Amino acid sequence: MKNLLSSVAALTAAFFATPALSGPVLDDIIAKDKLICLVNPNSPGFSVPDSQGVFQGFNTDFCRMAAAAILGDATKADIRGIGFSDSMKTIVADGAHMASRSITATGTRDADPGLAFVATTFFDGQGFMVPKTLGVSSATELNGATVCAEDGSTTLLNIADWFGDRDIQYRVENIADKTARLEAFFSGKCDVYASDVTALLSDRLLSDTPETYTILPEVISAEPLTLVTQPDQALEAAVFWAFQVMLNADILGVTSKNVTAIVEDLESQPKAVQRLFAEDSAAAEMAGKLGLPKDWAFQVISQVGAYSEVFERHLGKETPFGIDLSETANALVGDGGQMYAYPIR
Amino acid sequence: MNFTFAAHLRTGLREGFSSPLAAALSLLTGGLIVAIAWVSIRWLLLEAVWPWQEADACRETTGLCWPFLTEKVRLILFGTYPFDLQARPAAVSVMLCLLAVLTCRQMVGKPPRLNAGQLAAIWVLVIGLSFVLMGGGVFGLQAVDPVRWNGLPILLILSIVAVALAFPLGVLLTLARVQTSHPILALLASSYVEITRGVPMLTVLFVGIFVLPLTLPAGVSISPVMATLVALVFFHASYFAEDIRGGLLSLPAGQGEAANSLGMTYWQATRLVVLPQAIRRSLPSLVNSLIGAYKDTSLVVVVGIHDLTATARMSFGDPEWRDNALEAYVLVGLWFFLSCAYLSGIGRQLHRNSAS
Repeated sequence: MKNLLSSVAALTAAFFATPALSGPVLDDIIAKDKLICLVNPNSPGFSVPDSQGVFQGFNTDFCRMAAAAILGDATKADIRGIGFSDSMKTIVADGAHMASRSITATGTRDADPGLAFVATTFFDGQGFMVPKTLGVSSATELNGATVCAEDGSTTLLNIADWFGDRDIQYRVENIADKTARLEAFFSGKCDVYASDVTALLSDRLLSDTPETYTILPEVISAEPLTLVTQPDQALEAAVFWAFQVMLNADILGVTSKNVTAIVEDLESQPKAVQRLFAEDSAAAEMAGKLGLPKDWAFQVISQVGAYSEVFERHLGKETPFGIDLSETANALVGDGGQMYAYPIR
Repeated sequence: MNFTFAAHLRTGLREGFSSPLAAALSLLTGGLIVAIAWVSIRWLLLEAVWPWQEADACRETTGLCWPFLTEKVRLILFGTYPFDLQARPAAVSVMLCLLAVLTCRQMVGKPPRLNAGQLAAIWVLVIGLSFVLMGGGVFGLQAVDPVRWNGLPILLILSIVAVALAFPLGVLLTLARVQTSHPILALLASSYVEITRGVPMLTVLFVGIFVLPLTLPAGVSISPVMATLVALVFFHASYFAEDIRGGLLSLPAGQGEAANSLGMTYWQATRLVVLPQAIRRSLPSLVNSLIGAYKDTSLVVVVGIHDLTATARMSFGDPEWRDNALEAYVLVGLWFFLSCAYLSGIGRQLHRNSAS
């Protein structure tokens, strides 16, 4: 059915050869006045329901970003917790508009016609956690160490590649069950625990003494965690550029707290700020073409915030995760990270 | 009263310390009980942080953290169901519990006495009303997607509705299996029962979630809740079928033959003579299967349905409350303990009734 539908759609598109920006999915969001966004049902820091059953977290805020940009109201994001493979199926089957649930963008996934990978919100990668008592400051010093990792995962393959390339001898403790694996690490049965860095950060909190463990600086695989939408050029553009607004806001020093004051006094602001928020700005011109509210950039910043605000709110130094944004790949390019803000003009 | 207590104590002491081995075992169990009691009292009372205290106090002690429970109780009960509309799942939960209690009282012959037709009508009404209240979309109720049916109501819906539908199916399967005039039907029924009982429930759940949608005609979609419900019905039906078959086989053949000789048709004899007796005889083992089915319902977590255990995990997934897993699990454990204890009580009552 899906194949039939998509081939019919493709034929129709070829026959009429409409100009590029037609957005049936975006139109659907606007018609329903809500944006259905899938998140992980229980991922501390990224998406977890608060006491009122409303999802909160880093990933959740990008659902709210999309709703603020498209509908002008972040609360119109209908955020649903759903398992990983189900979320892909749900998007392909038109059961949801987008997903923000730490999905790694890979070539084969993007080749699937039912999914569009839009904007990378978090650069993750596989890393190593060690007890501070081990006295190791780099993964290259791990010669002879025992590594705890998930049996049969790509984690082990990555370790084999990385350590093999550097002629580092190591032993693997294969433990399939995560709780047992962590217990083995915390009790000292293995020297090193290997997993994605974000998983390491939240797993560390499960220890009785989180402060006695440290995460080594080496990140040995690429896990660009990316927003996924239904394929729809207009929707993809809206989500991608809403995210760019959040990155640009960081460069320009605009936050949810000062954006109202800045917009009231736009004349005295730098040109780049005016291009985001002015009546006749580049952002407003984009809004006209995509069918977004004219002040979408303002709505995104005032209701959700700049990228670093979202990061600090859920994962930053003030939170139990205590991640220093400037030390991760998620800092802006100018600060030594990989987040590159595209120009809005 | 005092006399009987003293007598009990004397007998207990005499039996508990009749030999060195018995004395050692008595002391050991006694010590264990005291140790467990001491740990529980410390956790529950001495080191507990009470509901009127500040939540910060929970970080200072290792005792029960009441502020966590008062903060998270609605999340644990109803999950991500819209907060303002949670009166609806609350009403559904109460209705389904009352329905279960009412049915249990009928089984053991306690008031209010209803006939089978009335009971069936109440079941249909309550189950229909449950789906209307949960899903909304009619009578001006705001629609709520089944993804948000979490916690207690989904546990009750899946277990109670599955049992309600599986029971008649189980009866039909048994009848098909024990009759002799259609051997192929009997063979089909017995292979169905044996195959379903021969695979783990997880397999059946995965078939329900992943294979069932593929077998539907194009364009028809089925929500995970419904797919799981169908899988559970087919799974439980085979267990109920075996329980009822035990009752049927223990019934003297003369019962059915007498009914036939009175001129009753097969269906009349089955409905009026054979089945009522067979079901009464199999009630204790049916209650056993029922408790098993109820507890197994928590397995639906693996197919992405957020029942009570999943919402409990969400409650301490909140980084602010990550130390309170024990409280959440104790709450869920208490619920299962109480509800299963009630069902076991009914089972014991049935045993007593059938013995007398």
